[in-house]
Amino acid sequence: MTRPTHPPRPDEDRREFSEEAASLWRITFAPVVWAGHFVLCYGIVSLACIRGLMPIAATRAGLVAISVAALVAIGWLGWRSFRQWDTAPDRAANVGETEGRHAFLGHAAFLLSIISAIGVVFVTLPLLLIGDCR
Amino acid sequence: MTDRANDAIPEPAGPYPPTEAMLSEPVDPDVAEAQARRLRKAWETPKGFRYITAVNNTEVGRWYASTALVFMLLAGIMALLIRLQLAVPENDLISADRFNQLFTMHGSAMMFLFAVPMFEAISILLLPAFLGARDLPFPRLSAYGYWCFLIGGIFVLGSILFDAAPRAGWFMYPPLATEDEGPGSDIWLLGLSFIEVASIAAAVELIVGALKCRPPGMRVNVMPLYAWYVLVVGGMILFAFPPLIAGDFLFELQRSFDWPFFDPDRGGDPMLWQHLFWIFGHPEVYIIFLPSIAVAAMIVPTVARRPIVGYSWIVLSAVGTGFLSFGLWVHHMFTTGLPSISLGFFSAASEAVVIPTGIQLFAFLVTLLAGKARMTLPMLWVAGALAIFTMGGLTGVMLALAPFNFQAHDSYFVVAHLHYTLFGGMIFPIIGGIYYFFPFIQKKMLSERLGRGAFWLIFTGFNVTFLPMHLAGLWGMPRRIFVYPTGYGWDLPNLISSCGAFVIAAGFAVFVFDVFRPKRNQPQIPRNPWDGGTLEWSHDVPEENWGVRSIPYVTTRYPLWQQPKLVERMDAGRFYLPDAEEQTRETLVTSVIDARPTHITRVTGPAWITIVAAIFTGGAFILPTFHWYAPAIASGVLAIAAIIYWLWTATARPPARPAKHAGLGLTLPTYASGPDSVGWWAVWITMLGDATAFASLVFGFFFYWTVQPDFPPDGALHANAGLLALAVAGLGAGWAATLGARKLNRAARRGAAMAALAAGIAVSAIGIAAMLGAVWALEPATHVYPAILWALAVWFVAHSGVGIIMQGYCLAGILFRKVTPDYDADLWNVSLYWHFLILTVVVTGAVMGLAPGVL
Repeated sequence: MTRPTHPPRPDEDRREFSEEAASLWRITFAPVVWAGHFVLCYGIVSLACIRGLMPIAATRAGLVAISVAALVAIGWLGWRSFRQWDTAPDRAANVGETEGRHAFLGHAAFLLSIISAIGVVFVTLPLLLIGDCR
Repeated sequence: MTDRANDAIPEPAGPYPPTEAMLSEPVDPDVAEAQARRLRKAWETPKGFRYITAVNNTEVGRWYASTALVFMLLAGIMALLIRLQLAVPENDLISADRFNQLFTMHGSAMMFLFAVPMFEAISILLLPAFLGARDLPFPRLSAYGYWCFLIGGIFVLGSILFDAAPRAGWFMYPPLATEDEGPGSDIWLLGLSFIEVASIAAAVELIVGALKCRPPGMRVNVMPLYAWYVLVVGGMILFAFPPLIAGDFLFELQRSFDWPFFDPDRGGDPMLWQHLFWIFGHPEVYIIFLPSIAVAAMIVPTVARRPIVGYSWIVLSAVGTGFLSFGLWVHHMFTTGLPSISLGFFSAASEAVVIPTGIQLFAFLVTLLAGKARMTLPMLWVAGALAIFTMGGLTGVMLALAPFNFQAHDSYFVVAHLHYTLFGGMIFPIIGGIYYFFPFIQKKMLSERLGRGAFWLIFTGFNVTFLPMHLAGLWGMPRRIFVYPTGYGWDLPNLISSCGAFVIAAGFAVFVFDVFRPKRNQPQIPRNPWDGGTLEWSHDVPEENWGVRSIPYVTTRYPLWQQPKLVERMDAGRFYLPDAEEQTRETLVTSVIDARPTHITRVTGPAWITIVAAIFTGGAFILPTFHWYAPAIASGVLAIAAIIYWLWTATARPPARPAKHAGLGLTLPTYASGPDSVGWWAVWITMLGDATAFASLVFGFFFYWTVQPDFPPDGALHANAGLLALAVAGLGAGWAATLGARKLNRAARRGAAMAALAAGIAVSAIGIAAMLGAVWALEPATHVYPAILWALAVWFVAHSGVGIIMQGYCLAGILFRKVTPDYDADLWNVSLYWHFLILTVVVTGAVMGLAPGVL
């Protein structure tokens, strides 16, 4: 567990452990990245193959780049939530305490970023394996 | 202008969290007795014919569940007729037309009248008990939803008695369904849209319940897993049902007014319906599956006598499944000729969803292995569920592969697969849940012997019926044929399936007999017959209607196991809200994450108005089926009037006292507005669903543009740009006026606030007129382009109209002092509606005005 390098600041704990209403949303960020990636892949391939707006080869390359970007974003979210989970003091013991809830939200977000990363990889496979619009 | 701090609404005051010393202090028995008497009086269920005005979650939940069960049995009888017809080749028992009605209604009823409502029923019944709450935050909304469901269900199912039932298959594909003569398709569209209203009402109720009505101390990481599933499923309903509602809207416009949304001759495309239907239809499968598996998640720890293993893993799997299930819809459309890369995306997502689904099953298995599991009757059903669902899941993995799917599409293999997932994922866990929760629901036990008999009959019958269908399908037998020739090898599997179906029916007969047989002579049951650890087993035997005697302070996942003396302190009235001084119904509202008590909210009681509102709402949906538009409009107006009366008389009234004692030294405010209040959350959630429906319409516009080389067609008439701009400006001004009125009212400038609202009504009305003017010259029946512009305009006008009604409601509220500078929840809720409305307005303006120029 890493220790902060600065002296305690006023309200530091309070802010860290306060309601965290945002962190209930935060557990959905990684799946939202997956969903956004999925919609982009589906929409852009339709524009390329059905509307015929751009060539499919370039589209595939562009979408693979988007997949990499999505994976980086999920990786970053996953790392942050891993830290939130792993650095929470005594994470197993006190589910009823603020720390327990803080760690739980980190753990859930971390697991969701793993599943989202797998999802992005799966959805990228057709881009790599299928060459054209047929 | 910033909002003045609201001095009239005090902050919560007093010690929190309670100390052990406070909790161990005894309650004076005389005081407790007097409190109990007042509570009992406040939560009394109406007697005699007034019983139907009850809104308590236990009553509404029981009606809901029983009605859904009856609809299920009726749909099951349809299945038996189908199996009778298919028992032998070249059978002439049932005509082709009747057969089409039977399979359409069997599927539609099982999905819309049983599976989804059953989730709502069970959640309404159980969620407050899991959370130690008195009731859900909006009991009348639950009751309204129930009456809508009952009316709509009877209407849709009854049509088969008049030989007028829908007959184009449960997914109503155009052009078959759009061209179908007779009212069948309209009955499906309007009747089920009406029931979808009930589903969304339940979703709102349950999400707010799980987020805001937990007992003090029950943080998100402590709440029962069922509540997590409710959150996920509620969220899914908000994103899955609205696309179907949008699809129904377009479909009905085509049926009624011949606007060609799905007619290729005039630029339409039947594929749009398939997309909208399956964007709903696939998540729907998980909307059915997740809550049922959630029931299993409540049974498994009790059976294993230990806490669930991998709580956060199960949360992961619920949330993950919820998301991934939206990436599967095209796997119902693999044979429609989409580009193979696109098929690949959906195939990949369909395989990915197996991971979270598998994780939750493994978490159950590990819990059972790690504990001391007993094969109790509920567990027997759960075990059957796991076995059958796993088999359905495996064929699902096969069907998710596009090349295999090309072969098996529309064959009996699919029929076998979907019944394995739905029986394993829904029927078995739900029946297990009924055996498990029956002592809680009815304060009686079901028979162990009959239960085991029913299980083996249904389990055996199920496999005898559906296992051979895999083979029949692989041997080429298509779905939905009413007769088949002999000599293809289909005779024997069909005969076996038909025999099996009657074994299932026998099992259900035993189960239903057990549920409904009189149990008057049964001795009083123990309070916690299964030794469960969650709060519902603190229920009162014999029954009390108050939910809980006092609302406990909960810090563990299995409070009955892990918090000694909890139940005895709850019973003594040691915890929160032990009293009903004014003999009104109240419950505690807590914060979203950590469940700190924030305020006490008034909960509505028995009323006729919900029934009246449901009847007129039903009229508004049902009468257009017969093209009786004038009575339908009248009925719609009366429904709105009834709902306004209901809101005006019973919601967000200024309280008599700004704060009151909640017990344990805590004083809480009795009123909240804005994001603190449950009503604001309900509006937020409803509007999220509404925005999804609107997004589906906009998707339709761009879908046409993508698939058609000439959309908009050359030389097409566009919406009048000037009037369109005026419409957007008018509604923009209406939005600003609403927001201004809220701030003026908070600043105690009542007159100015009322003037702002009146001005807002005027400019919004001008905006509506301008919008109608903008599309007036377009002829929607000629081509899909003017039709979709008209559809967007209709949506715009309807929503703006509701916005005006809300402005008027607030204006009257200020005038008659229902809304005061301090008690202004209505204004906050209406402003929130207007935020969503202005978004709709701007997007509509952009799509109608700008897109044709840009594209």
